[in-house]
Amino acid sequence: MTEAREIITNYKGPHVRIMEVCGTHTHEIFRLGIRKLLSAQVELISGPGCPVCVTPVDYIDKAIMLAMDDHVTICTFGDLIRVPGSMSSLAGSRADGGKIQTVYSPVDAVTYAVKHPDEQVCFLSVGFETTTPASCLAVEQAKSLGLTNFSILTANKTMPMAYEALKDSVDIYLYPGHVNAITGTAYCEALAQQGISGVVAGFTATELVTALAAALEKFPLGEPFFVNAYPRVVTPQGSRKAQALMQRLMEPCDSRWRGLGCIPGSGMRLRDTYQEFDAEKKYHLPEISGRENPACRCGDVLQGKCKSTDCPLFGKACTPQHPIGACMVSGEGACSAYYQYGMD
Amino acid sequence: MNDTVTLAHGAGGVQTAQLIERVFQKHFANPNLTADDAAVLAAPNGKMAMTTDGFIVSPAFFPGGNIGKLSICGTVNDLACMGAKPKYLSCAFVIEEGFSLTQLEKIAASMAETAREAGVAIVSGDTKVAGKGQVDGIFITTTGVGEIPVGVETSGTKAVPGDVVLVTGDIGRHGCTILLTREDFGIDAKIESDCAPLWGTVEAMLGVTKNIHVIRDATRGGVGTVLYELAEQSGVGICLNASTIPVMPEVKGVCGMLGLEPLYLACEGRMVVIAPRQEAEKLLTVLRQDPNAKDATIIGEVIAEEPGRVIVNTELGTQSLLPRPTGELLPRIC
Repeated sequence: MTEAREIITNYKGPHVRIMEVCGTHTHEIFRLGIRKLLSAQVELISGPGCPVCVTPVDYIDKAIMLAMDDHVTICTFGDLIRVPGSMSSLAGSRADGGKIQTVYSPVDAVTYAVKHPDEQVCFLSVGFETTTPASCLAVEQAKSLGLTNFSILTANKTMPMAYEALKDSVDIYLYPGHVNAITGTAYCEALAQQGISGVVAGFTATELVTALAAALEKFPLGEPFFVNAYPRVVTPQGSRKAQALMQRLMEPCDSRWRGLGCIPGSGMRLRDTYQEFDAEKKYHLPEISGRENPACRCGDVLQGKCKSTDCPLFGKACTPQHPIGACMVSGEGACSAYYQYGMD
Repeated sequence: MNDTVTLAHGAGGVQTAQLIERVFQKHFANPNLTADDAAVLAAPNGKMAMTTDGFIVSPAFFPGGNIGKLSICGTVNDLACMGAKPKYLSCAFVIEEGFSLTQLEKIAASMAETAREAGVAIVSGDTKVAGKGQVDGIFITTTGVGEIPVGVETSGTKAVPGDVVLVTGDIGRHGCTILLTREDFGIDAKIESDCAPLWGTVEAMLGVTKNIHVIRDATRGGVGTVLYELAEQSGVGICLNASTIPVMPEVKGVCGMLGLEPLYLACEGRMVVIAPRQEAEKLLTVLRQDPNAKDATIIGEVIAEEPGRVIVNTELGTQSLLPRPTGELLPRIC
């Protein structure tokens, strides 16, 4: 650990941009004060790994339509409730009489549907490979219970295509350990073959510092690399069980990311065999295009094109109490981290 | 008597009298609790403190306590924070029609037991019954008065640079308990609320020194919120050492899984104490002899820099800002 600290503090190699992709990494790095340990040659960029932050405006608009027009009970992770849509947020809908329930897991939404047979219940299924298996499990459970009052609105995303889309903004990815625990590391190795370097990192102080040190040792050598610095949890093959579950219920699709636009093949949706649980189909939701606040620079923040503090709204019109951009809403968002940890 | 509370129990007639006699009078009986319109009490010798608090916790029963125990602890502890010995309490109940009388009696019994432990007499009360759906089960409001010994002067404005910051035990247990009781996470953790009346703890501290600047109970918003309040009120900075903040391993585990910060979880039996450094050893010695404060420890110090902010010395030896608490972490925890 001491050695790893010295490496990241005394790094004298070429200027390097490291993108921590995961919202939890962003927060832990701030909480532990790791930026203060880093050599001035190292630039940390907070990437698009917070599921709430990359969920597009039109998804929120659709959830609001379900709650208000179709009188569907929305079950959602708490973070999504305050995310601004084009006109309002789910919190606004709740104040207007919409039924919005906070849940801590997709399976809780199934339990809610069982207990409330008179209500139509829709779970807002956002997240990466870490949370998608739980959504699949919920749908499987609903199917085996024969529920007809449960569905999910999918905005699930997968990381590999996003890594490719963002590769020009970064030199090294700090891969999120939780995601790799599910997916394994084969695609990270493949990305290294294509010239995209990365290190899988865990979440404790030691794990983060060790991963950064591994990256900074390799980078000056000039060859693309991949290092699994979280072998305690991440294996090359990942969780076969979770992968099989996702495969069985879902298939890849194109997906819009807030700030990044549409990334082909970066989304997951329910297969046709489960279409009765797909809220898009069940409620014939129209294609809509959301409207983001034009001054908000969340998109640039997510691509590492600017820091949160460069946005004209940051800390003024946009604060955790009155968020405008999604990166300020979620506790895991980059702007929220910059604001809360007093970076100015 | 019927098994549940009915609107008739709140109408002021025979049923009301029966309810008072069989539940409240039975458990709360003391010479100052009479059938008159108001309690007539001897005035305290010096200064007195007075406070009121409403309790709406959901669920009303939780591991380590219930709304009744909480309603006594909350008010007694608020008085104790001002160094005041709790003397008298009043309590007002708003009960939902259909509430179980057995549960009501359990609540009254815990209130009586906790009041005895705290050395306070319940001298006045009121009962209202609201229609089904107008309240959730039972709401209790307690008001208390206490006597402040000569020479005791605690206030949130009195923290000065150089003071040490103590907590009287591990933090975050009440909030964590309520969360686990309310939500079905499938987490099997043995966590009980720390809910306890703390006048004895404060009395023991005042027994060794009256030179204590601040005492504050870390209820809603937890220790983190209290420290931000104190930093602002006193116009000072507060610097914490992350490694010394006591958190039960089970609470740490639950917080890790759910992404919560124990510093923002409510306590109902823990106090934050700020005192001059030379008093710290005496205070710790006496606190650690108290069953409600045996894990008391120093978690940080008051600094002149960074006024209004709380800074954390991290496990890596760096400093970071403790994020300012925002929004509602958990509604209806007390």
